Amino acid sequence: MPAIAFGQGFQVNLHGQKQIGMGHTGTGLLQDGASVLFNPGAVAMLPQNYVQAGMSPLLFKSDFNPSGSTDQYRTKNKIATPFTAYGVWGPKGARWKIGLGVYTPYGGLTDWGQDWAGKYSLESLNLKAIYFQPTLSYRVTDFLSLGAGFVYNHGTVDLTRAIPVTNASGQDGQAQLKGNGHGFGWNAGAFIKTNVGLTIGLDYRSQVNTTVKNGDAIFKVASSIQPNFPQPNTFTTTLPLPSTSSIGLGYKPSNKWTVAVDVNFTKWDVYKTLGFDYAKNTPTLQDTYSPRNYKNGWSYRAGAEYKATDKIFVRGGGGYVTTAVRDGYVTPEAPDANRYYLTAGLGYKVTKNLDLDVSFEYEHLDARTQTNIESQLSGTFKTNVYIPGLSLAYHW
Amino acid sequence: MKTYRSYLHIFLVTGLLGFGACKTSINTPAPSRGTADFTRYIAVGNSLTAGYADGGLYREGQLNSYPSIIAAQMQKVGGGTFTQPLFSTDQANGSGYLKLTALTNGVPTTEMQPATGKRGEATVPGFGTVTLYTKYKGDINNYGVPLIKLQQITFGQLGNLNGYFERMLPTDFPTNVNSTYLDFVTAKPYTFFTDWLGNNDALLYAITGGADPNLRLTDKAQFSQLYNLSITQLTKSGQKGAVATIPDVVAVPYFNTVTVGAILAGVQKVNPAAKALYVNALNSDGSHSARIATAADLIILSFPTSMMGQPVAAAGNLPYGLTPLTPIEDKYVLDQGEVAMTQDYVNAYNATIKSVASSKGLAIFDAYAFLNDVKAHGLVVDGVNLSSAFISGGIFSLDGIHLTPRGYAVVANEFIKAINKQYNASIPLANVSSYRGVKFP
Repeated sequence: MPAIAFGQGFQVNLHGQKQIGMGHTGTGLLQDGASVLFNPGAVAMLPQNYVQAGMSPLLFKSDFNPSGSTDQYRTKNKIATPFTAYGVWGPKGARWKIGLGVYTPYGGLTDWGQDWAGKYSLESLNLKAIYFQPTLSYRVTDFLSLGAGFVYNHGTVDLTRAIPVTNASGQDGQAQLKGNGHGFGWNAGAFIKTNVGLTIGLDYRSQVNTTVKNGDAIFKVASSIQPNFPQPNTFTTTLPLPSTSSIGLGYKPSNKWTVAVDVNFTKWDVYKTLGFDYAKNTPTLQDTYSPRNYKNGWSYRAGAEYKATDKIFVRGGGGYVTTAVRDGYVTPEAPDANRYYLTAGLGYKVTKNLDLDVSFEYEHLDARTQTNIESQLSGTFKTNVYIPGLSLAYHW
Repeated sequence: MKTYRSYLHIFLVTGLLGFGACKTSINTPAPSRGTADFTRYIAVGNSLTAGYADGGLYREGQLNSYPSIIAAQMQKVGGGTFTQPLFSTDQANGSGYLKLTALTNGVPTTEMQPATGKRGEATVPGFGTVTLYTKYKGDINNYGVPLIKLQQITFGQLGNLNGYFERMLPTDFPTNVNSTYLDFVTAKPYTFFTDWLGNNDALLYAITGGADPNLRLTDKAQFSQLYNLSITQLTKSGQKGAVATIPDVVAVPYFNTVTVGAILAGVQKVNPAAKALYVNALNSDGSHSARIATAADLIILSFPTSMMGQPVAAAGNLPYGLTPLTPIEDKYVLDQGEVAMTQDYVNAYNATIKSVASSKGLAIFDAYAFLNDVKAHGLVVDGVNLSSAFISGGIFSLDGIHLTPRGYAVVANEFIKAINKQYNASIPLANVSSYRGVKFP
């Protein structure tokens, strides 16, 4: 069932084209309105006001090779569309700024189709979490600013999997769980300018427990079995979207160069079980509690920006992310593994007030051979992710 | 803003589709045939080998026989074509088969689908009626013959008594007086074989409750002699192969679905005074007499429970099954003593199978151990919980003895694992989840 999501595999880190280009660094930098997410503490230090939006279409290409077999099952080419929108405003010279961020920190779009070896675990999953974050930031002194935002999450899930009940024409049954829910959290940070040119950012994004209440639980099975799967039916589930703690450093070794590093700690160990509570139960359709037992994950990021001309910025970066999923718990929803990624970006100042930024990211998840303790689905997963992106930022 | 977003979307998506061509791939080592040669694989056995399911031999069952599944996997390591004596698409019902037509409060109703592969019937004096099926002309790799016992593989007249064997033979009933099964299957050169014979030497006795005087347990010594003979002949040119042991009769739903406890509970709903069921059970001296039934007495799947409590005219209208004078008849019960006897024979047969196969260096799929393990613990494959339960278990077909396509795929993989181990091969496993369980209406 919706193991979903929220595996490190489903944490989406596409929060701003400038930051993506620099290997997802930004907690300790003052780049643009994306500071609303990366570090609300930095918002008050931003030299200007911003309105910006970007999109990073994502192609998640996973391959599964069952143990003892030469078969390969690949996810279909489906394009997810994580996006960002930020606004930051404060009077010129004021110590404070307000901001609003709309972004997609968790999500997943995986379609394995209906004919693969793991179809009883998952056929397809479309999961989106959209965070809305109003923010207030205050510059305490010239070298320290603080900020915090309130987070409202609107989440949607649409998951299908096959049910091993064959109908008269030889086809499997199918379950579809579809619903939306919401949750609340907060995001707070601090930004420090040192007198040696080093900038330091600290940020904490809280856990957001997202509850899907009365989602549709649609079961299509052979008619003689349908009474075991009463219709209509609903489900309720709660997914803990974990907290993330970040520290980031920024440094300008020269006028032309900016370098940055970030370290993030995501507290995945709150994700112990995935439960589905159905409104109508039968001996066949019981509530389910699937163990997840995730472990905390780390990501290490580094990036640089080179100011080639007054108008053109070239960026590059990369990072390494440790998996949150323990051996035995890997599922096709989140075929997670340790991963590395490489990013590149290009910024162009269209006018004094308008930035056009493009980014590209390649992620590679290590091949991971596993037997899931619950489904006994046994085999090797390997995944590559390709993510181009583009944004426009207007600032004044 | 909206236009900007949609242009942006089109631009990015078009660019991204280019990456759709990049395939993520896992390097798998090339599968190997090891020290075996699968150029011509033949399957020797009974109904399980033929793909018999749902109480009949019909085309869909044949197409999902475990030998055909194994052969398809062998083809990935140089195996040759594999041809089965299929019923044609026009005669796809074959011998006829059971179809589940309703499930009322969990109680199944099955309906026999009419045979379309029959060509007639013949009466053999002193034996009975033989059903004759449409002849199959053509190459054969799957020699599975329903109903055949190991005891019969050197019997020259079998081609006149077993309609499933008769349909494979070049000559028609009643001229098959000198065609032994063993000679027929080994006549054409082959490089590899699977052999799952012997089930019927115990099973045919058990499924008739041990009551049919013509269906006795095959003598242990005779079983040993014929098994040695058959393996010697199957390996006479150095062919390699795999054999399987005989499942425990109590591992199949045919004996585990209609239980003494369930029948008694049903009777007590109507007649709360009923205290016990009576069965006609085997005594140690070989005779039968009535006694109170226990959970160790196995009632067969096809027992008509509606007979329970009905007045038996021949016994002063006493209720059927509820008194020592009107016990459940022997043919419906494999009683505790008969179970023990059957198990003793099956254990002896299996000891023979394992020792003969080991001495010839053949691969062994221990179906006895495997199915007992499934019965005790179930089996989880690719997210499907399989068990030995009737209908819901997913492995056994509607006759409670033979398997569903999914069950046959599980068996095929167990054979492949045994072959891979014995011959240092790496035949890829079949995808169990692509095979169906019982079809529900």
